[in-house]
Amino acid sequence: MERSFKKEVQSLRLGDGETFHGEGILAVTKALLQSGVSYVGGYQGAPISHLMDVLVDAEDILDDLGVHLETCTSEAAAAAMLGASINYPLRGAATWKATVGTNVASDALSNLASAGVKGGAMIVIGEDYGEGASIIQERSHAFAMKSQMWLLDPRPNLPTITRMVEQGFELSEHSNTPVMLELRIRACHVHGSFPTRDNRRPQFSRNQVIEHPDFDFSRICLPPSTYAQEKHKIEFRLPAAIRFIAENGLNETFDGDVGEIGIICQGGLYNSVMRGLDQLGLTDADGNSRLPILALNVTYPLVPDEITAFCAGKKAVLMVEEGQPDFLEQAVNVALRKADLQTRVFGKDVLPMAGEYTSEVVLNGLGGFIAGTRPAGVDAEAVAARLAALMAGKTRAAELLGAAMPTRPPSFCTGCPERPVFSAIKILEKEIGPTHMAADIGCHTFSTLPPFNLGNTVLGYGMGLASAAGVAPNMGKRVISIMGDGGFWHNGLTNGVGSAMFNKDDGVLMIMKNGYTSATGWQFLPSSAQDRTGKDPGMSIEAALKGLGVRWLRKVRTYHVAEMIKVLREAMTSKDKGLKVIIADGECQLARQRRIRPKIAAQLKRGERVVRTRFGVDDETCTGDHSCIRLSGCPSLTIKPNPDPLRTDPVAHVDNSCVGCGLCGEVSHAAVLCPSFYKAEIVQNPRWLDRLLDRVRRAVIGRLAGAAA
Amino acid sequence: MTVGRRPTKLLLAAMGGEGGGVLTSWIVAAAEAEGLVVQSTSIPGVAQRTGATTYYIELAAAGGAVPVMALYPGVGDVDVMVASELIEAGRAMQNGFVTPDRTTLIASTHRAYSIIERTAMGDGRADAGRVEQAAREMAKQAVLFDMAAAAREAGTVINAVMLGAIAGSGALPLSTAAIEAAISGSGKSVDSNLAGFRLGYARAQGEDGTAARAEDKRPHLSDRPTADNLLDRVVRTFPAASRTTLREGVNRLIDFQDPAYAKLYLDRLDAVRDAAGDDDIVTEAGRFLALRMSYEDVIRVAQAKTRPERIAGLRREVRARADEPVVVTEFLKPGIDEFASVLPPALARRLIAWADRRGLKAKLHVGLHIKSSTISGYLLMRTLAGLRRFRRRGYRYAVEQAAIDAWLDRVGRAARIDAGFAREVIACANLIKGYSDTHRRGIENFDGIMATLVDPTLAGEMDPASAAAAVRGAREAALADPEGNALRETLAAPPVAKLAAE
Repeated sequence: MERSFKKEVQSLRLGDGETFHGEGILAVTKALLQSGVSYVGGYQGAPISHLMDVLVDAEDILDDLGVHLETCTSEAAAAAMLGASINYPLRGAATWKATVGTNVASDALSNLASAGVKGGAMIVIGEDYGEGASIIQERSHAFAMKSQMWLLDPRPNLPTITRMVEQGFELSEHSNTPVMLELRIRACHVHGSFPTRDNRRPQFSRNQVIEHPDFDFSRICLPPSTYAQEKHKIEFRLPAAIRFIAENGLNETFDGDVGEIGIICQGGLYNSVMRGLDQLGLTDADGNSRLPILALNVTYPLVPDEITAFCAGKKAVLMVEEGQPDFLEQAVNVALRKADLQTRVFGKDVLPMAGEYTSEVVLNGLGGFIAGTRPAGVDAEAVAARLAALMAGKTRAAELLGAAMPTRPPSFCTGCPERPVFSAIKILEKEIGPTHMAADIGCHTFSTLPPFNLGNTVLGYGMGLASAAGVAPNMGKRVISIMGDGGFWHNGLTNGVGSAMFNKDDGVLMIMKNGYTSATGWQFLPSSAQDRTGKDPGMSIEAALKGLGVRWLRKVRTYHVAEMIKVLREAMTSKDKGLKVIIADGECQLARQRRIRPKIAAQLKRGERVVRTRFGVDDETCTGDHSCIRLSGCPSLTIKPNPDPLRTDPVAHVDNSCVGCGLCGEVSHAAVLCPSFYKAEIVQNPRWLDRLLDRVRRAVIGRLAGAAA
Repeated sequence: MTVGRRPTKLLLAAMGGEGGGVLTSWIVAAAEAEGLVVQSTSIPGVAQRTGATTYYIELAAAGGAVPVMALYPGVGDVDVMVASELIEAGRAMQNGFVTPDRTTLIASTHRAYSIIERTAMGDGRADAGRVEQAAREMAKQAVLFDMAAAAREAGTVINAVMLGAIAGSGALPLSTAAIEAAISGSGKSVDSNLAGFRLGYARAQGEDGTAARAEDKRPHLSDRPTADNLLDRVVRTFPAASRTTLREGVNRLIDFQDPAYAKLYLDRLDAVRDAAGDDDIVTEAGRFLALRMSYEDVIRVAQAKTRPERIAGLRREVRARADEPVVVTEFLKPGIDEFASVLPPALARRLIAWADRRGLKAKLHVGLHIKSSTISGYLLMRTLAGLRRFRRRGYRYAVEQAAIDAWLDRVGRAARIDAGFAREVIACANLIKGYSDTHRRGIENFDGIMATLVDPTLAGEMDPASAAAAVRGAREAALADPEGNALRETLAAPPVAKLAAE
């Protein structure tokens, strides 16, 4: 795993009266244990990858409590796991990134939500939205509404987040409904503190098993039960939830002296609203808001009475709701209409409909709200002046800087084993022309960014090959589909390979086998060399492919660019119809470096001979064309000012982060680039033979060179 | 500095792998040890994979109700802005996080070039000087120095130096003791991190770096023993402003071939000087002529790779210790063109024609891995370098000299028409560089511009002033994309005023 939590997980043992200090995700884990869960599971993905990592590192603590941990191979599997709470009073939690994970999980989720739950069921959702997100921009809110699950969006501080986990389980049990706890990226990674309680041993668990299975046809998703379940949702579960939310004060109201207007916000945006008000001078000396605020820690369902009570007597409220469609704004308007209140609702008119609500966005929205309402007791001109002053810095900076700063899109890491595959495709493209490339989700999606700009579509995790089914028959050349080993096990094996083989599709599939789900932080997968217990999982991509009847199967070390070009050329031009699979084999370099670095350090310490390899560029022969960089993009292959007194264009330069993967040399050969690259093998702790040979060579070469000069 | 009920805000902009997360955890640990209320957050995600990312920290005094802390930095609302690299500091300013009323800006002045800057075909670098100047103007207090170099000096990672600079700036309400305790408490690489911290602290307090800023340029070649007469001629017959360049040119061409070749260089420049009324034109023509005449053939490459001083520089570059042997492998892949270049022109033409007919020119290449640090490998490279004495009889030499003469002829004629236009014709030589495909493409681009813009202007069909602008635009277009799409579009409809035919 990318990060070890071995030290941090000790705080999961904290008890009554102690204080937890740490990251949001770890706090959520602690709250799950305080809630007495019997089982947890999930599928990794930013921003909740660490939740899975924490759980894996905390396995002995879980064992002690009898909590079962399942590292699922997809979100669908994780969602289906929650089925344990349908018949039994077992509390359980699943986690994944949203909305993509929720999409994958939605079949099981709909069934779960229809059947209803006896034990509390919670889904911890990492809402991957806005800056730093890696996925399509959608909201989880719609899933909550369509399946009737409750959506918690706590204020982003650890006491509120952990309280909502605990009360969320109670809400789930009171209303027989699964709940979703939505955490935005920054909330997942927030470091803070909260007072802890003892962990709760579950009533039933691996240590205290259930003796009798429960059969209840009303919990089966088959008519006529499904009709009854839908009615039960509306007639019992929803009212029960609304009652529980209101009676237990899950949503919070903060008073303010400006009575004419108020703000309703998603709990998760509360802190941004408060900061915006502070910046505009709308807080008192203690930092309290002068405008009343209703913070919705539960964004679905709304409690209509809370809305109308808050709005009564106000001429306007501002609904601060991130993302689209504006479900909450519509719901607030409906509640007011039904109560016949004339309070005007501001929202997506002064705030943008789409995109992340950063501090700056909220600040400008609040400014628009004040300008539009001009409430008594507020100097609207002063607020406008403050806003203008704050924004002026950006204008001034733009003038001084002259041009926009160059962006830094993410790319393959130094020495990444996936980069050479795209170098090979790029070089082969010159020979056989471009073709459609069906990209997939994973680190390899970076192929669509500079310098490769390869990949025409992305249709979801493990969907690369499946997404080629329609385009391939209509394309003049064979389509290349990409799939990572993560995507292969997640979805690609069945939806991609299974479907292509069943339909006898013609095409080329490139499977990146780097041994981990690396984009999410090196979690183990079925074809990893070892699983989380350190054992060989005994599953292989090759065996699975052969099992599905794949006959054209090649495995190529990714760094062998020339070999990869040859095999790919054969796959592209072979008369053989059908699926041709190339396994691009190379361990994730980050994981590899982390694995071998301590070993090498120990070897060096013991005085053992270790050869360190790295590449370099002769700056005298480099002419500063940078075509080598355009075929690589390796972070260690950069530029430096041209040392030649007669030249000005910067030259290529390999910096000391080079791990000596060999791609530079391979590419300059395969693409016939230039003779400037050299490989240097530095012999550390040389043996006497190394030294002798070196001394002789240097002496002779020194003489020869001297003779020339 | 003291801390109030309203939080002090620190925003850190860094790139994946620079230890921004660890730096954040040090500050949080120090703040908690000082009894402050502290909150931090970050957006790792995909940005962690080499992209730019940010960490955000708020600190406030304890006691009373816990203040509401934000998860986002506010525009115009950052007290301490820390950037691990110069362009990241620029980005922070661009986003409104550096304001003269309150922001202490702590930034490293080194450059980590973005992929856009690195892949440009010429010079695509952002204007670093302008960013540094803006930083001094926008910040209330600016602490700017090369933190990457300081980290190297201290043998640590840049995050430790940045923490030292933060502490040294006095902008955070944290004691040095508490920060050092936080570093020690994390238990990893404590000594090197403390060394980096102290160095960063000292630099922020105004102590000058001991390591002088690395000189970008190689020193000029020392005068060749056989250059005396020629250098004398440079001083006697060329404008003062051009002499440094021409002297380098003379020495370089003696190194490349022999004194007679360097004499040819000056003879060619005599013509340019006589045509131009402008010292600048002589200098620029002298610069590019020296580069064109010292073209990168196999002989030149082998010569560069067998220089006695090369191995010392290479060992420094790869950080090999004195007692560590270094085995160096060169990647050469000569093809038909390279073989033809050393053959007599007649034979070479036949070889190339044959290869073209068979479509072999792109296919026939011999991939060589030459270990130049071994005696046999070195001898092989030396043998290649020794082909220098046959160079004049080779095909490549004939081709290059003809091309150079044609270009210089245009330069001379252009100089008689318009100085600005002449400068642009000279600068077109920058398009011809690199090897194999890159070189071929450069020549095509050069020829395209000559045929479409330069020759018609020399023939009096176009207005020289607008042609100068058009040549410049075409040159930029030629460097816009490797496929040559932008140049094709530009040349298809050059924005040049055609002079009416008489």
